[in-house]
Amino acid sequence: MTGLLQFFGLIHAGIRDNKLLWLLIAGFALFPIVTHLVDLPFWNDVVMRIMLLGMAAMGLNLVLGYGGMVSFGHAAFIGIGAYCVGIGQFYGLMNGWAHILLSIAVCASLGLVIGYLALRTTGIYFIMITLAFAQMLFFLFVSLEQFGGDDGMSIDRAEFLLIDLYEPLRLYFLIWAMLALVALLLMFVVRSRFGVTLRAIKSNESRVEAMGLVPLHFKITGYVISAVICGLAGTLFASWQEYVSPDIMHWTRSGELMIIIILGGLGTLAGPLLGAIVFLLLEEFLPVMLGALAPAYAENWMVLFGPLLIMVVLFGRGGLVGLIDRKILPRLGRGKTAVK
Amino acid sequence: MTLTLILEQTFNGLQAGVTLFLVAAGLTLILGIMDFVFLAHGAQVMIGAYAAAAITQATGNFFVGLGLAIPITFASGYLLELLIIRHLYRRDHMEQVLATFGLILFFNEAIRIGFGPAAIYSDLPPSLSGFVEILPETPYPAFRLGVIGVGLIIALGIHLFVSKTRIGAMVRAGANNPEMTAALGVNIKILFRLIFATGACLAGVAGMMLGPLTAVQSGMGEPLLILSLVVIIIGGIGSVRGAFVAAIIVGLVDTLGRVFLPSILRLFVEQATADGAGPALASMLVYILMAVVLIFRPTGLFPAKG
Amino acid sequence: MKKLMTICAVTAAMAAMPAMAETVKIGYMTTLSGGAGIIGKQMQNAVNLAMQHKGGKLGGMDAEIIYADDQRKPDIAKQLANRLLKSDRVDIVAGVIWSNLLMAIHKPVTRAGNLLISSNAGPSPIAGDQCHENFFSMSWQNDQTPEAMGKHMQDAGIKSVYLMAPNYQAGKDMLSGFKRYYKGNVVGEVYTKLGQSDFQAELSALRAAKPETTMIFQPGGMGINFVKQWKQAGMDGVSKLYQVFSVDGVSLPALKDSALGILGTQTWSPDLDNPINKKFVADYKAQFGGYPSFYAAQAYDTILAIDYAIAKSGSKDTAKMRAALATGDIPTTRGNLKMNTNHFPIQNIYLRETVKDADGVVTTKVISTVFNNHADSYAVNCKF
Repeated sequence: MTGLLQFFGLIHAGIRDNKLLWLLIAGFALFPIVTHLVDLPFWNDVVMRIMLLGMAAMGLNLVLGYGGMVSFGHAAFIGIGAYCVGIGQFYGLMNGWAHILLSIAVCASLGLVIGYLALRTTGIYFIMITLAFAQMLFFLFVSLEQFGGDDGMSIDRAEFLLIDLYEPLRLYFLIWAMLALVALLLMFVVRSRFGVTLRAIKSNESRVEAMGLVPLHFKITGYVISAVICGLAGTLFASWQEYVSPDIMHWTRSGELMIIIILGGLGTLAGPLLGAIVFLLLEEFLPVMLGALAPAYAENWMVLFGPLLIMVVLFGRGGLVGLIDRKILPRLGRGKTAVK
Repeated sequence: MTLTLILEQTFNGLQAGVTLFLVAAGLTLILGIMDFVFLAHGAQVMIGAYAAAAITQATGNFFVGLGLAIPITFASGYLLELLIIRHLYRRDHMEQVLATFGLILFFNEAIRIGFGPAAIYSDLPPSLSGFVEILPETPYPAFRLGVIGVGLIIALGIHLFVSKTRIGAMVRAGANNPEMTAALGVNIKILFRLIFATGACLAGVAGMMLGPLTAVQSGMGEPLLILSLVVIIIGGIGSVRGAFVAAIIVGLVDTLGRVFLPSILRLFVEQATADGAGPALASMLVYILMAVVLIFRPTGLFPAKG
Repeated sequence: MKKLMTICAVTAAMAAMPAMAETVKIGYMTTLSGGAGIIGKQMQNAVNLAMQHKGGKLGGMDAEIIYADDQRKPDIAKQLANRLLKSDRVDIVAGVIWSNLLMAIHKPVTRAGNLLISSNAGPSPIAGDQCHENFFSMSWQNDQTPEAMGKHMQDAGIKSVYLMAPNYQAGKDMLSGFKRYYKGNVVGEVYTKLGQSDFQAELSALRAAKPETTMIFQPGGMGINFVKQWKQAGMDGVSKLYQVFSVDGVSLPALKDSALGILGTQTWSPDLDNPINKKFVADYKAQFGGYPSFYAAQAYDTILAIDYAIAKSGSKDTAKMRAALATGDIPTTRGNLKMNTNHFPIQNIYLRETVKDADGVVTTKVISTVFNNHADSYAVNCKF
């Protein structure tokens, strides 16, 4: 009984210390009510994409923000998760839980192997070797003709017992539930001894080594966890898109995840979610805005997006979460939103 | 598969390698000395190609185009460093990656706005449109020989400059230990700016050389960028010598792999599998090479930081 | 993303006659931003031109086109399709350049009970076992054009050919379509890297193989690079070059004279002699400066098809339009287009040569007809 109370105590403490994160997650849960009231159900689709991207970004953030490992390879894990659904369905496996288990198994094993090989390097070398692995996986899937190659495969939504994903909002809340689970998991991981050690490795690896710990073990474990999370995002993404193709695992997709993380706030729990929201909203509205201002150049909206990124990097210390902590919260007279 | 063909393909690989070296040289110095991940280096290639092609079209003379495009690319690199890059030196790698990624988007789109999204017209200068018989019955485009020549001269020039001049010594010192070099009184800011501008200029020259051979369009530099990153990783960051050796190796492996791998595979597996797997493997080959090098030498073949 | 540039119909002020209360909404999805934006731009120009020619009305109904920029990404295409259907409530979704994007939105649009009309992409699953009655192609099935090339070469008695295409699905489809009709000696079948810019090594290998002819599929920038380097290497003296989808209205302005003399097969050419095409090409040149590409012609035909469907059926109801289109005989830039049972066109395929026109501009000209009323090879697998 006391164990259960302790567990709930931990959750309560976690939610109290990560208000922004759980505010966002609660917001996602309530969002369909809003769209129903204004009769714009299409926006549920956008938010589903936000939640999926946010989930993957949270996974990457574990190694990137907390662990300091700049991995360009994580889009590959999203792709593998998606292809677990696609290839599974190709061979008649329609059960969604089976897809998820398969994805966890494959991503964990692959994450272990790639992590072990790549983490022997650091810095720019690590960046490049993760990019290399991502490219190799990309070319592999492009060459797999029986699974459509780069034309991809049209698939159906996975079948979960008792839940028919084709009913309205079922997929939405499945994704939401998975996101909440991932957030809970990461919240524990980050505050645990493992998480603290990982962050210590990011700031000073030799000191951790001097304490008698093996940094490589921690880094690989973090890498595997993040790979599995990205894979999970991929499996649900496949059901959302009803289509899988190698585009999902192109290294530029990893770049997008990084943009999201840094927009939101590196090394924070809520950052990736905030970043996903802003990123997708920008994707929607930047072309519209440019179209209104200068219709002849509406297609060239990326000429604004580039400098925007540069400015975020130059001036946006800590991303949006940092902005909220520094500017908005003091005005409200409160402390920090999240444990950093 | 004759000896002549193998020799000709080796020659092709050398040309590809030399072009890669022009792009990689600047990048390895920027990454090695300023510890700056400059992803937008491919954009410099594009700027050089466009400058040369546009001026050549306007003046009708390729060499005028070349001559004017070189200072233009140097200036663009100089300005870029002055305005944006120098603010990012102290940031961590990921922020640099993102900022330069934003630069790529900006440059690609700006070129599209300025010149339109379609590829612009560029062709060989009439004086270099002929052929040279490098091997019996093997006509080789004279222009490509020119590219190899230019590349080798520049490589030699860089080598002499870096190893024999005082500024070269400062560059080498900066690659080895930037803080100490600054502490010794070298004006590190101007040094960085000049190195950056020179690197940009070299990449631009690669673009100017490639312009007549390939399509001059937005984003043309990105494939070269990825390959040059692979080159400098294999060669060792900060080492121009490493970049040269690695560029030649990568050029050869990529070229020879592309043309001979399917045939080699056919010796081991049946035709259909070889034809399917061959091209896929060939595109992965360079990455596999890099991964292998990194596993055995995690800092490349000739790392500058001893 | 979604460019909210709606081309609105004839305004109410001009409706002196009792107008039909209905407006037909068409969601036109293409790639407008990014590297391939030039293609989408041409298609958009063509659609606007068609609307102009039709006075803003299709089949007598006011028409509204909503353009959507898919950025060449399947997830954005999927999101756009959802938006067009659920938010903008379009009646028809049309356009789509790329096969993978079409594969991504095919099911959602057709199952929702809306017509999906492709202006370009034509992957074999959609022509065969994954076909759906709500889908119509106003372009071609991917294999048809290379099949024609294969037939031409076979009929012309060409003894040997060296094949080259990029290593992706479309590349493999093109070459397999070619080999379906060409039974001669395939000296080499080389798959190049997607996006490759330097073919010197492949050209060296080609020269060593000394094939009588070379047939390539290298779309977009790859085609520009290949043809340039082919000429620069003096390969015309080694082999005769044939192509599908590599030399067209998009790449010719960059190639200019270096493309002269190259033969290719295509379902359309700017010089096709029928009134609709003549008007289309002339007005396109006048308004947008330069010849339209086949992408533009197909986009133009898409609007003509919608016009035809509504006029013939008298309504914009999906089932009725579908019935009208399925019977074929649609007036297009290619003449009256017949429809196959899988809703892909049965059409002529021509042999074209790159030539200079009277003004010295490089374009293509029809030399002969390879196939009369050619159907695609996947219709047998399609059962609605």
